[in-house]
Amino acid sequence: MAVCIAVIAKENYPLFIRSVPTQNELKFHYTVHTSLDVVEEKISAVGKSLGDQRELYLGLLYPTEDYKVYGYVTNSKVKFVIVVDSSNTSLRDNEIRSMFRKLHNSFTDVMCNPFYNPGDPIQSKAFNGIVSGMMVQTG
Amino acid sequence: MAQCVQSVQEFIQDSFVPMVAVLSSDEAERVSRKNNLSFSELLRPFCKLTSEGHIRDPNNQLQTVKNLRVCVNNLVTSLQTPSASVSPAQYRLLSEVVLSFQPQEGAQTSAVKTGDYSLNLSVTTPWFEAYRDNFLQSMPASDHEFLNHYLACLLVVSSTETVPVEQFLKLSQEQHRIQHSGEYTNPKWFIPNTLKYYVLLHDMSEGDEQRAELVYEDMKQRYGSHGCYLLKINSRTVSPEQDEQIPDPWSQYLLRNSQRNQEMFDLVPAANVAETSAGATEVDSSDSAETGPGLSSSLEVHPLQLDTSSASLQTLTDVHVDLKTGARDSEHPALGSGSYGACLTLNDHDHVRQFVQEFAFRGLLPHVEKNIRQLNDQLLSRKGLSRSLFTATKKWFGGGKVPEKNEPKTTSNLLYPPEAPELQIRKMADLCFLVQHYDLAYSCYHTAKKDFLLDQAMLYAAGALEMAAVSAFLQSGAPRPYPSHYMDTAIQTYRDVCRNMVLAERCALLSSEILKSQGKYSEAAALLIKMTSEDSDLRSALLLEQAAHCFINMRNPMVRKFAFHMILAGHRFSKARQTRHALRCYCQAMQVYQDRGWSLAEDHINFTIGRHSFTHGQSEDAVMAFRQILINDSRQTATQQAAFLREYLYVYKSVNGEKKGCLPELPLPYIQSSTTRVFFGHERRLAEGEKQAATHVSLDQEYDQNLSAMWCQLEEQLVSSANRGIVPNNFQPSQSCLNSQTDNLHPPLAVVEEPIIVELSFRNPLKVSLTLSNLSLLWKFTADGTSSPGKTQTGEQITGETITNEEASATQMALKDDIITAEIIKEFHMGSEETKMARLRLLPHRTGQLNIVGVVYDLTSSFAGETASNTEGQQALSQMTVRGRQDLKIRGPRLNLTKEDKMQVRYGADQRLEPIITPPMPLMEVFFLQFPTALLCGEIKKAHVEFCNVSAVALCGLRVASTHPDFFTFGSQATTPVTPPSSVSAENCSAYKTFATTLQQGSVASEMLVSAEEFSQPSGVMNIPVHGGMLQPGESIQLPLWLRGPDKEGVHEINFLFYYESIEKGPKISHRVLRHTVFICASRSLNVQASAFHSTAPPPHSVDDKGSRGTLVFIDVENVNMSEGGVREFHIVQVSSSSHHWRLHKYITPTKDNDCKLSSRERAKLCFRATRCKPRQANLDNVDKLIFADLSLGNERIISSSTPCGDFFFRCCNTSTLQQVDVNSRTSGNSRSLYSAPPSGSGTNLTSVTRKCNDLDLNIIVIWKAYVIEDNKQLILEGQLHVALHSFGKEASSLVPKEESQEMVLLKFKSELPPPVVLPFPEVSQLIKTSLHYPETFTHHFVQDSLCLVPVTLTLSNCSVALVDVIIDLRHNSTSSESLEVHGSFSWVGQTQYKLQLGQQEVVSLTLRACFFRAGVYNLNTPRVLARPTEQNSVCETSQQTASPALIIIINSARLQKSNSSDEQLSL
Repeated sequence: MAVCIAVIAKENYPLFIRSVPTQNELKFHYTVHTSLDVVEEKISAVGKSLGDQRELYLGLLYPTEDYKVYGYVTNSKVKFVIVVDSSNTSLRDNEIRSMFRKLHNSFTDVMCNPFYNPGDPIQSKAFNGIVSGMMVQTG
Repeated sequence: MAQCVQSVQEFIQDSFVPMVAVLSSDEAERVSRKNNLSFSELLRPFCKLTSEGHIRDPNNQLQTVKNLRVCVNNLVTSLQTPSASVSPAQYRLLSEVVLSFQPQEGAQTSAVKTGDYSLNLSVTTPWFEAYRDNFLQSMPASDHEFLNHYLACLLVVSSTETVPVEQFLKLSQEQHRIQHSGEYTNPKWFIPNTLKYYVLLHDMSEGDEQRAELVYEDMKQRYGSHGCYLLKINSRTVSPEQDEQIPDPWSQYLLRNSQRNQEMFDLVPAANVAETSAGATEVDSSDSAETGPGLSSSLEVHPLQLDTSSASLQTLTDVHVDLKTGARDSEHPALGSGSYGACLTLNDHDHVRQFVQEFAFRGLLPHVEKNIRQLNDQLLSRKGLSRSLFTATKKWFGGGKVPEKNEPKTTSNLLYPPEAPELQIRKMADLCFLVQHYDLAYSCYHTAKKDFLLDQAMLYAAGALEMAAVSAFLQSGAPRPYPSHYMDTAIQTYRDVCRNMVLAERCALLSSEILKSQGKYSEAAALLIKMTSEDSDLRSALLLEQAAHCFINMRNPMVRKFAFHMILAGHRFSKARQTRHALRCYCQAMQVYQDRGWSLAEDHINFTIGRHSFTHGQSEDAVMAFRQILINDSRQTATQQAAFLREYLYVYKSVNGEKKGCLPELPLPYIQSSTTRVFFGHERRLAEGEKQAATHVSLDQEYDQNLSAMWCQLEEQLVSSANRGIVPNNFQPSQSCLNSQTDNLHPPLAVVEEPIIVELSFRNPLKVSLTLSNLSLLWKFTADGTSSPGKTQTGEQITGETITNEEASATQMALKDDIITAEIIKEFHMGSEETKMARLRLLPHRTGQLNIVGVVYDLTSSFAGETASNTEGQQALSQMTVRGRQDLKIRGPRLNLTKEDKMQVRYGADQRLEPIITPPMPLMEVFFLQFPTALLCGEIKKAHVEFCNVSAVALCGLRVASTHPDFFTFGSQATTPVTPPSSVSAENCSAYKTFATTLQQGSVASEMLVSAEEFSQPSGVMNIPVHGGMLQPGESIQLPLWLRGPDKEGVHEINFLFYYESIEKGPKISHRVLRHTVFICASRSLNVQASAFHSTAPPPHSVDDKGSRGTLVFIDVENVNMSEGGVREFHIVQVSSSSHHWRLHKYITPTKDNDCKLSSRERAKLCFRATRCKPRQANLDNVDKLIFADLSLGNERIISSSTPCGDFFFRCCNTSTLQQVDVNSRTSGNSRSLYSAPPSGSGTNLTSVTRKCNDLDLNIIVIWKAYVIEDNKQLILEGQLHVALHSFGKEASSLVPKEESQEMVLLKFKSELPPPVVLPFPEVSQLIKTSLHYPETFTHHFVQDSLCLVPVTLTLSNCSVALVDVIIDLRHNSTSSESLEVHGSFSWVGQTQYKLQLGQQEVVSLTLRACFFRAGVYNLNTPRVLARPTEQNSVCETSQQTASPALIIIINSARLQKSNSSDEQLSL
């Protein structure tokens, strides 16, 4: 399913990044980091026209040769990025959307944890589990 | 995109210029060679025309041609067909061009600030422009376009030629042959009848000018005045002497090449070496293998064999060969940079310029104009008729040269014949384009495009599209928007259909440039990125870099995309062996990634930067970059980290190899400098046999704020007692272990020849293990003025100057070891991510100021896994060792006192590591012998303590202070009897001194008067009774020590602080201390509860003593020992009393023979009589004397007033009073009124008054023996318990009541309820003692007399020593209805209220009368007695305590009779 899932803080540093093939981790880091430009572009574009009523899901940020990068921004400007293999054609926009929603819910749970210090890297087992589930589901 | 020097228009215009070939005779070439230039090179700087030219278009409109440039090249013929990709030679050339343009150090940079990023970028990218220009110039001529086909040919002949005209003819034929014979595919020619321009080159220095003029005249006639020219050059004779400075316009066109070569030669081997040594992972090894042959081939290639028309390449190779062979052109002595145009004067320059202008305006432009007109006519004539016909026939017959349309792929390679009409249009378009007639060019291109597309001639179509787009852009006034889709189609066609990357690249370069000029950066970037491919790393790198610049130049700069593409570019650069550029790219990208949490990327960039920096010999940067990787809390895997570390160490080692001397600072492992601890003195010696050494301080102990405060307090006590009660101003608690929490503001004092141990905490942040070896401290030492005697000769040398072991040279080591010996830890291994302490020792041998600067060590990265499998050579590599140092900088605590401190972040000083070495001081060790660990509460035990002076200096003033002064005693000298103790006590090892009670005193106590001062120790400090008051060096002394188990059960931590001084006066260290901590486990023994009561009966034998009333003392003794197995039974051996005024007189129970035994959980009550002593001698001496009275229950008496019993008694008294004060101060918050005196003076008076009558300062000492069975042996333990009775009636206990633990109190958020109001002065209610005297039964005949009057005597006795006003109110009846019901009512008759004043201890009797109305039982105790001391007006009367009910029985005698009679009646 997803090959890389990342949560990025408001200040654009990673809170959580996980990718499936570990040897390619660096590449995914670069990809996710670069996608932030597109995210910002999209936010600023939407922000002008609709004000507060913007949709959290940003859709496809950009396609690369091998991957598709999807973005999602919470109201507190925390970004979620999901990288999907281009060859995986079975994934529809709706499914990506629901993945993000699930991720967001889980992230909210992490934030609600009184022992979590906002801004720290996420180390929650539950969150990790959700992410693992998304990455494994269809391989 | 970085800014360019040229504008876009200029750039495009210069990219497409008319091409002019040069064909020169050998002689002419020789003439120009004098200037070290070929003829074409000679012209090159002047090819750009400054003046405007004019041209008429087919409609006879005048068009201006501005800034025309012509490109002059030597005619080089070849057979090669134009390839679709860059040839290797060309590629090499391009890469050299890029290599030669390195970013300057002080290059202009611009600061870009977007969001929270602020970046420093280089504004220009000259290497890219150079690349672009070179690339465009070196475009191979292709068939589908004519732009870089030769439009004209210069035929150059020297005037020195014998027959120049003939030579011209020869050249002309040669040109014709080249163009028309079909032997050569290259060069290509624009138009069949190429313009030939005849140039006569005249050398002013050697030729005959007249002759040249003549020849020129001849030429004019032959070729027309517009077709020939006489160029005079070389006016200057070659002579190095008269070397006036003439501007050298060639160097910027040519010189670069040779310099570049030189540089390349230097660089390539270095790069090779570095690459192989570093074991490059990223650069393919095949790449490096390729360079070798590639390089050599470039040297071997003959200049004439070079394929393309690029003259610059030729010259380059020329220079190459020149460099290799030495001096081919030996005729030119001044060969080298700056020697171009040596024979040319400024006049000659003007000549050349004029020539070029003449050629362009008179020759070239009219030629072009003519051709345009011609082509236009041709096309027009064809347009009406043949064009439609042509297409019609094509449609109808579908053939001819035009291939089938169903194979569009193959058509890309379709070739039109040179005369095809489609090509004519294109040709005309190109001509128009070259002379800047863009309107016409556009329409022609547009037409051509349509035709080509119709024919599916894709290559041609793409070319037309490209140029149509460009000319549309260049049209002045821009009548139509730039058709970027034309470009896109063109690029796509070139790339995908034609597979011609070179053309595609040209197209992309142009298009991106145009897009950028229009601000369409993202499109430009997309275009550039699309052009990156695997076939050319260099191109990809450059284009990616430009794309990155596009991203940053967007209106909303995309910083991250910029960074990412920079990294991609850097990667490509490094693959293209342009490592400097790669480094620059990575460095720029680093600005974005740095310190933003993208550690993986950051590490990668750092690593690459490190690598590249190292290969460029910028080792410092390399070290910095690698350091960054290691210092960051890296998320890399262990193997990755190991690789980083190894790389780092390798680089480091090579850096160190370069510079000798001071050791480099190492980043690993981290030193947590704030946790550094410094310990002064020897490490603690462990117990020796039975001896138990004092615990003192060691590095193993954790620092505890409370503990250290406690020690400090003890030391203060000691110091004040040593200084007669005054603590000196400069008192500093001695600290032998310094850490972050101690006071480090003053430099610590260390003693010479005593070690200084520094504990450092190292942290290894890596996942690989580290090994430090040869770890030792670095120090600086400044000797003070007074060097120690005996070492004067060396002392002189070292006095005053600072010595350090920082630069370690072997010769000085001996001397340094003489001053301070630094211990070296051979190996210190650290596991992955481990924090480990290292203890490093210094031993100073001189006095002075020491400064511990840092640590020095060898850092080794050990790779266990690799060494096992690899060969020896690799093992050497994997065992990389670097010697380096780390400084210790300890920052003090943050200051937070003043406002400035609070506003800023300031730190205090920390002088932990700057000890002052002082002259020798005494050093004492203390050992304990037979020291118990567990005691019963109150148990007395004797142990021994040994004091040992281990230093070379005598010590004195031995003292000890303790947190539990009641725990131990050394015995007081005053009471220590000289006589040996009795045999009995010796047998039992009894701690007490006893003697058998030979005199049967019966139950009467023996008394002894002792002054309290003999025992009193002010403030818990004890002088240790050492014989002579001092300990000589090496001497040791053993003293007995008595211990008494604490009264509270549980584990007690007992701290001793021993104090001693040096015999010598005035050393820097005034005293030294030694700490000792013991833990004693106290278990319960006996609980003694005592209470005292006034006995109403006067003591029989003290009738004379009026003041003392007899007092009964009850002592409850309970065995509360829980361990039933251990202690079998307790015996009460003796009860003693100690008091100022009281004494135990005799015991009532038990009787003599019955001594009191208590086994577990048993309890006994003893009863004693106590009497008040006469206030005689005590007052006379004016000395506080205590009377000790011993009541022995056994047959031996223990002298309670002597050691140790007396000692402990006094100790306990001291501490208990202290404790009470403690309790008061603690509880004063909520129960102030209870304990503390009222504020008014009268109140204190009152309490004292009232207290006095109840006071009883009787202390009771219960001495017991316990029989314990341990290991089948019976042991007798002894002990004593103290109970202090302070007032009558109150029970006092030896066991301290357990305080309710405060910890478990629930948190209350509401404020607590105010404490219940306590009745003031409960003591006042006991001022007056009342008793009623009356007959117990009273018989009255109520029939006769209805009222029964009973006389009652009320005795009032004043207990206090003050006058007391008493009010007795009889009327006051208890109002409770209950009492009425039970007792019925009676009333007092007669005077019912009395007011009396009672004197001091006066007894008054009042006679009252009670009146009863019927028979019954009455409580007579109804009078209410109110009393108050007379002086106390303010205090209202207090009702005195009501005693137990006083019952009286009134019997009705009439009733008796009556009942008798009723009995009779019954019987009747």
